[in-house]
Amino acid sequence: MNWKIWSLKKSPWVFHVNVGACNNCDIEIVNCLTPKFDVERFGIKLVGSPRHADALLVTGVGTRQAAVRLREVYRQTPKPCVVFLIGACPCGTGIFYKGYHVEGPVDKILKEEDPNAIIAYVPGCPPKPEAIISGVVKALAAL
Amino acid sequence: MGAVFERKRKGKKMSEPLQSLFWILVFPGFLFTVFVGLVASWIVRKVSALVQWRVGPPFAQPFVDVVKLVGKEILVPKDAQQTVFLMAPIIAMATVMLLSTMLWRITIDPAKVFVGDIIVAIYLMVLPSLALILGASASASPHAAIGTSREMKLVMAYELPLVLAFIVVIIKTGGQLSLAAIAQHTPVLSISGALAFLVSLLAVQAKLGFVPFDIAEAETELGGGVLMEYSGALLAIWKIAQAMMLVALPLFLVMVFLGGFGTAGGALWAGIGKYVLVLVLVILIKNTNPRVRIDQAMKFFWVHCSLALAAAVILAIVGNSYGLSWL
Amino acid sequence: MNQQELNGKISQIKDRLTAIEQPLPNRVYLSCESENCYSVNKFLFEEVPARFVIATGIDAEDCFEIIYHYSYDQTGCVINLKVFIRDREKPAVESITPFLPAAEWIEREIHDILGIDFINHPNLRRLILADDWPDGVYPMRKEVKK
Repeated sequence: MNWKIWSLKKSPWVFHVNVGACNNCDIEIVNCLTPKFDVERFGIKLVGSPRHADALLVTGVGTRQAAVRLREVYRQTPKPCVVFLIGACPCGTGIFYKGYHVEGPVDKILKEEDPNAIIAYVPGCPPKPEAIISGVVKALAAL
Repeated sequence: MGAVFERKRKGKKMSEPLQSLFWILVFPGFLFTVFVGLVASWIVRKVSALVQWRVGPPFAQPFVDVVKLVGKEILVPKDAQQTVFLMAPIIAMATVMLLSTMLWRITIDPAKVFVGDIIVAIYLMVLPSLALILGASASASPHAAIGTSREMKLVMAYELPLVLAFIVVIIKTGGQLSLAAIAQHTPVLSISGALAFLVSLLAVQAKLGFVPFDIAEAETELGGGVLMEYSGALLAIWKIAQAMMLVALPLFLVMVFLGGFGTAGGALWAGIGKYVLVLVLVILIKNTNPRVRIDQAMKFFWVHCSLALAAAVILAIVGNSYGLSWL
Repeated sequence: MNQQELNGKISQIKDRLTAIEQPLPNRVYLSCESENCYSVNKFLFEEVPARFVIATGIDAEDCFEIIYHYSYDQTGCVINLKVFIRDREKPAVESITPFLPAAEWIEREIHDILGIDFINHPNLRRLILADDWPDGVYPMRKEVKK
């Protein structure tokens, strides 16, 4: 396993992107990053710019308006990078199935941009912070 | 480097420029300072975690961070001023490397000094902040522009009290301008010296970019601030430069205020203890304070700190002329 | 003023309304046609005076309806004014934003989603639909299939 992927697994810096969420998943992500769950043990750090990030935490069903912006943010994240879809909405549009504003589940939007995107799914509405941590750890172990 | 080691094995004396290269690049220059700096940044993160009742990152975390950043691609914004954008982190790293090498050489070999090296040290300390300002200005991003203007104001704010604090020390040690001579005294054991130490500790906190003065890189407000557009290996160079500053600046404080860093036996352990003391003070201030606004920071440095230092200068002059060393 | 005085006040504009119902002491439902929408809203907002809460747009099969919700905080009474817009081809009603600036955004949203034109609205731009959404397609109209 080459050293780039190994160091990515040991020190994933995350950037949070909201593409049309109701904010429940955003609150759970912010809960996850508080000292109570201490994700700094895994080297996870919240960064303020997608250019510093290794993992994108995407919440929200992909709306038409936000799909353009999401593709731009994905382009600005230096590769290799991982995308985590947090919640039922980005995994498969959740309760907004066939809504008029929905561009598609987020993996469809990202695969148009980059067919080889590494995507991990953390379902739940919203997923508990324990579930988010477990999903991230399992995804990193499978890399 | 192979040629250097070969010559050592053959028993010949190394030529002067190669020896200087070794000092600058390996010990006690670049590699040594980077290693100690990353260990120091781990200490900062671990102690902050323990203060917050949590387990912190494992020991190798800062090293893995740097390795990971080197492995990512570098994205340069289309509108950025490319030359300055790429040179700024290298300038920062080079000046901190020079500063650190100079300080360690003075510690290890006090005979090889030149008079006035404290002025060179103060000059070299400003350059990383200037490089940060240059690099952020070249980024062509509105967030970086706000970060740059705040960093400029912050540098203007803390440079004056920092230089005044060193003038207090120079007065107290009887007008010495060479760091090796200053390192023989402990000015912190007097009132004016303690005031100067406190002010320069806060100025160093601002220079290192720690709370309460991390206005330029305020993540929650500016989304990354000054370093927003940097990625990959360039960001790794910035992180290395920040880690090296974490070694050079507290070491400078130790040499100027706390009586130097010994090189043998008990003095060495005392030196390490003093360095760790300064580091722990920085960490504790970092963890117990909120971030201040830029106008509050400027008022703090220009009004409160300068007044305190003016009092300290007067006390130092009075103490010197009457021979009272505790003033 | 208490509830009886409130009822008395509302009956002042009885001639402009087509129906008044009060199923509960603190729920009042008024109905009117789109011509009287402006004057009834102005009366409710300024003369009563009640606090404007929100407006709801509905696509009933044969007409459009806008329900303006007001709250009279001193008695906890909620006044709902239902305005019928009979013209389905070009639905239009007078905007209440000139005297009630808080209604600006909800009217923009109803315009985006249902296509009801608000006359005299100072700023009738797109609010919540995406920038590349085609003009003239109103998502919540019942005949539009996605």
